Amino acid sequence: MNLKKYTTLTRAGIMESLQFRLSSLVIVVGNLLYLIVVYFLWKAIYASAGTEVVNGMTFYDTLIYLVLATALFGFMEMYVVWDIGRSIQSGKIVLDLLKPMEYRKYMFWSYSGSFVTQFFFTFLPTFLVVAAVTKGTISFGFNLLFFVLAVAMAVSINYSIDFIVATICLYTESIWGINIMKQVIVLLLSGATIPLAFFPEPLHTIVSYLPFQSIYHTPLMLLLDGNPQPKDVVTALCTQLFWVIVMTVISKLFWKVSLRQITVNGG
Amino acid sequence: MKRKGLRFYLRIYRKILAQDLKSKMSYRADFIISTVGMIFTNIAGFISFWILFRNFPSINGWNYYEILFLYGFSLISLTPVQCLFDNNWSLRMYVYSGDFIKYCFRPINLFFYFQSEVFDVKGLGQLAFGIGTLVFAWCKLGLGFSVLMLLKVIIFLITASLVMIALQNAAAASCFWIQNSFYILDFVTKFKDYARYPITIFSPVFRFIFTFLMPIAFIAYYPSLVILRPDAVPVLTWLSPLLGCGFFWLSYKLWMFGALKYSGTGS
Repeated sequence: MNLKKYTTLTRAGIMESLQFRLSSLVIVVGNLLYLIVVYFLWKAIYASAGTEVVNGMTFYDTLIYLVLATALFGFMEMYVVWDIGRSIQSGKIVLDLLKPMEYRKYMFWSYSGSFVTQFFFTFLPTFLVVAAVTKGTISFGFNLLFFVLAVAMAVSINYSIDFIVATICLYTESIWGINIMKQVIVLLLSGATIPLAFFPEPLHTIVSYLPFQSIYHTPLMLLLDGNPQPKDVVTALCTQLFWVIVMTVISKLFWKVSLRQITVNGG
Repeated sequence: MKRKGLRFYLRIYRKILAQDLKSKMSYRADFIISTVGMIFTNIAGFISFWILFRNFPSINGWNYYEILFLYGFSLISLTPVQCLFDNNWSLRMYVYSGDFIKYCFRPINLFFYFQSEVFDVKGLGQLAFGIGTLVFAWCKLGLGFSVLMLLKVIIFLITASLVMIALQNAAAASCFWIQNSFYILDFVTKFKDYARYPITIFSPVFRFIFTFLMPIAFIAYYPSLVILRPDAVPVLTWLSPLLGCGFFWLSYKLWMFGALKYSGTGS
């Protein structure tokens, strides 16, 4: 197996993201403040509700769900759309296309380095803080294993969606608008802004048939479920796997067809 | 040098604006997609409140329509910063590449010239959405109407805008000292999303922080009290027009200090 060419890109990515230490600090502080805002907001919401459990979720469940959703967002958001969009506009993409590696893979492995750093600098601290604050609501058992598996598949689905959106940029030459639309749709329909359990009925059913819930909702629900039923876990993971395959195929085909479209202005 | 009057600056602004709009119109697809994207973001915010209040009757004594009022108010007050000061996002690129020097050689106010160069049309979609939300909430709350109320709303909207502009100016100006200042700007921009909630949900420490250190409570909460809770308006609300001007002046001084210190890149 020729893994070395991939790990080299990962290493370069790690080094690149470690260059900007100050920006990591700002991101950590920003996440911390977000954590505080979410904490107080939902505390007030639950205090007004008068009951401990709403839609099967306690205050701590909701807190863990939302905070880790944000941490996962920071970890998965790769600005692929921006990077590909910019290299289309500047013409740099031609050089990347000439590389002896499939473009889709090349981009993914270039980002894998920032996965590693983001995991240690953002996700892990947030996870530990939230686990401590919620005093043992997260159980440490098999659910962690399922969570890791689900996150790995979520990364793949998220990357495929990003790649499809970036491919759309080949046609529109608009980056900001396309990217913000994607971000809004994904964050809302995946449950990252408000847990899917709170969605009213017709909306809840519609969302469960879309790929987005596999990105945030599935991993987080697997994590929160301290007493997992084998049937539920298998269903959740298989749904994810289904979306991984479907989205990968779509993004590959769409890219292949679109590449003939490409017009590069100079470069 | 003779100081140039307001009329002179308005005339110049009109001229620069016309040029900017012309160049924007040549990328019509981008313009339309960006506007749609902006509207998407606002609708998503609206939907998340709707979902929230399907599950919970109120937050901290604030009902659905009152929260919508805050949301509409914050959207309108964010319009000026979106429309008129959008060039702040490019400041770090100009400074980094050395192109910023071109602004230093004009015989008009540096800050004015820099900001006037870009007018972001998509902010107008947000303005329309914000006014719609505000009017909707206003009618549902049965607040009544008088010229005095309208006058108050307008004055406090301007105040709120000044605070947000000040925050963004200060964040953008950080690029004169720090290399990768995108994260600081991004951090401040994310903060505006927290401005939509009543500040009473926070503990005293964070109430203090969000009032004086990061004055986001002035973007919607304090000004809205004049209309929503007319019997219990705190002194801070009445002081906010002054504070708004003060914050703006400080940020302007900081921005100019950084700009005048700028020595170019030598190219």
